[in-house]
Amino acid sequence: MVLKQKIHEAFKGAVESITSHRTVSAFKEKGVLSVNEFIIAGDNLVSKCPTWSWESGEPNKRKPYLPADKQFLITRNVPCLRRAASVEEEYEAAGGEVLLDNEDNDGWLATHGKPRESKSDDNENLPSMDTLEISKKNTKKNTIQSIPSYFGGEDEDNIPEMDELEDVDNLIETDPATLETPYLVAHEPDDDNILRTRTYDVSITYDKYYQTPRIWLTGYDESRMLLESKRVLEDVSQDHAHKTVTVEDHPHLSGKHASIHPCRHGAVMKNLIDVLMSRGGEPEVDKYLFLFLKFIASVIPTIEYDYTMDFDLGSSSS
Amino acid sequence: MDVDAEEGTLLKFAPFQSTVDEGFWHRLSSLKLNKLRLDESPMPITGFLAPCSHKQVPSRLTLLAESLPSEDQKQSSSLPATLNQGNRNRCPVPGILYNTNTLEGFNAIDRVSLLETEAKKIWDDIHNGKVEESSSVLLRFMVISFAELKNWSFCYWFAFPALMLDPAARVVSLRSASQCLSLEQAESLSSACNEWQNLNLDVTAGVLFFLVCIASDSRVTLRHLADWEACMDDGQKVLFGFYDPCNVPYPGWPLRNYLAYICIRWGLEKVHFLCYRETRGFADLGFSLIGEASISVSPEWKTRDCTPKAVGWEVNKGNAKPNFISLAKAMDPTSLAISSA
Repeated sequence: MVLKQKIHEAFKGAVESITSHRTVSAFKEKGVLSVNEFIIAGDNLVSKCPTWSWESGEPNKRKPYLPADKQFLITRNVPCLRRAASVEEEYEAAGGEVLLDNEDNDGWLATHGKPRESKSDDNENLPSMDTLEISKKNTKKNTIQSIPSYFGGEDEDNIPEMDELEDVDNLIETDPATLETPYLVAHEPDDDNILRTRTYDVSITYDKYYQTPRIWLTGYDESRMLLESKRVLEDVSQDHAHKTVTVEDHPHLSGKHASIHPCRHGAVMKNLIDVLMSRGGEPEVDKYLFLFLKFIASVIPTIEYDYTMDFDLGSSSS
Repeated sequence: MDVDAEEGTLLKFAPFQSTVDEGFWHRLSSLKLNKLRLDESPMPITGFLAPCSHKQVPSRLTLLAESLPSEDQKQSSSLPATLNQGNRNRCPVPGILYNTNTLEGFNAIDRVSLLETEAKKIWDDIHNGKVEESSSVLLRFMVISFAELKNWSFCYWFAFPALMLDPAARVVSLRSASQCLSLEQAESLSSACNEWQNLNLDVTAGVLFFLVCIASDSRVTLRHLADWEACMDDGQKVLFGFYDPCNVPYPGWPLRNYLAYICIRWGLEKVHFLCYRETRGFADLGFSLIGEASISVSPEWKTRDCTPKAVGWEVNKGNAKPNFISLAKAMDPTSLAISSA
C-alpha cells in the first residue's frame, strides 16, 4: 500500500512536471478547476468566510504556477468536539438528530446541520457518498482503537527529568487575578463522557494532477499537542478513514499530514454540479469551494470549519 | 455572565494558550544545525494571534515556521514582512526565544528574572510611548526551549508576562456587549469592527488594541490609541477595545497589560473596556464583553522607576512544568529520505 502510494506519487510528480496547468475551464464538464479558477474560488471563500486565509507556505515548496501569496488556503484552530465514529453510532442509535450531552446543555445537535443535512434533506437529489465506491463494511467502532498519544504515552519514558520548581512566585497558578481555566479536560482515553475538544488546522491546496482542490488536516489534542495521524482518522467518517484518507507530505508545509485523496473529487463535484444544473441553477465557479467544502463535511463531519451556511450555488432561474 | 451582583470583586483574566506548529520545530532545527550552531543568544520571534472566532475554543498564540527568520537571509528580509500583511487571522505579536544547547542549561534558566526582564520591556514601552506606535508590544511573550536534535525532541515553555496592578483591579460590571448597547450602537459597532479588520490589513501596527468612540447619535467609530485625548475632547463615550482571544465570560489575558497602560498613560481609575470577539470571522456582540474595571494603584506604582511584579509562565496540563514534544516520527531521516525520493 505504502509502496504503491510512493510509486503513484512519483508518477504524479513526473506528469505534473512535464504537463502545463489547466487553462481552459472544464468546471461544468468535468468538475475540475483551472489554476485561475482555484484563485477566484479561493478569493471568494476568504471574503465570505474570513476565518480562511491565503498563505504562502514554505518558500522552497512554492509552486510557480500559483501567486507567491496565494499558494494555499488555511483555517486554523477549528474545534472538533466529538469523534466521528461516536457521532455516527449515536446518530444511528437515535435514528436522527442527537443532542450532545455537554454540561451546558446548550442544544448542540450532533448533526450540526451541515453534514447530515446533505444526507437527509437532499438525499433524493444529491449524489450520495456512494459515488466514491466505498463499501460500508467498516462502520463499527472496532476500527477505532485507543492508541497511546504520539507525543506522550509510550514516549513518556523519554521525557527528560525536570528540576522541581522551587520558585513559585512568578507562576500564574498562585496569582489571584488569574482565572483558573475551567475548560481543562481530563485525559482518560476511554471515557466517552468526557468532552474532548480537539482542534484542527484545515488547509486546501491545488492538486495539479487531478485539477481539484485537496484537503489536508493537522490535528491537536486537548492539551494542544500534535495528534498522530492514526488518531486524526478518528475524526474522519469511518466510511473513509482507511480508504480515501492518506498520510503524505504537505505540498506547502513541513511534515506529514492526513489528506483526503482527491482521485474522485472531480467526479463527485461533476455530479453535484449536474444536479444543480438539472434544477435549473447556473453554477458559478467562484462558489466551487463552498460546494466542495459541503461535500467534504460528509467525510469529516465533526470538524467545524466555516463555509457559508445558506449559500445558493449559482443563480437559480426558477 | 452577569457579575453585577458581585460588585467590587477581583477582576480575573483567562490566561493565554499557546500552540506550536510542527513547521516551527522543523525550521528551528535546521537553523540550529546550519546557522546558529552553538549560539545561545536570545532570538526575536513572531507569534500570531486573532480574536476568538469559535465559541468552543479560545484563540491561541501560535508559532509557525514563519515565526522564525528564514535560513536564507535574503528571503527573510524581503518576503515574510510582505506576506504576513493582509492576513487578518495572523496578527503579529513580538516575542523572544531563549534556546539553550543543553538540558542542564534549560533547567538552569532563572525564570523569575527572565520574566522580570520581559515585563520591564513592556513597562518601558508604556512609559516611552511605544505602545501608541505599535500596540502589540503590550502582548510581548517569551519562549524558553531546548532542542535535542539527536532524537528530534523539544522541551519548551511559554511565558506571557503580565504586569500586576497593585492592588489588583476590581470589576464593577461585566456583561455581554449586546446587553450594554442600544440596537443602533450595536449595529454601528459591529460594522465599525468588521471595517477595522479590513482597514488595518496593510498596517500591522495598532490593530490589536483600539478605541471605541460612541457619539451621542449612536454612531460608533474606532480609532487608534494615540487619539485618546482627541476623543475625550469630542465628548464621546470611549471604550478601550482589544481583540480578545478568550472564549469564556471573562476577559482574556491582553486586558492585564492594557489596564496597566491605561492607568499609567491616561491616569484613569474607572476603565470601560470591550473584549472584542467574533463568530465565523465576523463581529459577535453577544459573545463580546463590555465591562468596567476600577483601578486604584498606589502612587509609587505609577512612577517609572518602579518595577512592578509580573506573572505569566504558562501552566501546561494543569502543572507548572515545561511542554515536551517528540517529532522523531516526522523528522527521522530514513523516512524523510524515502518520502523525498
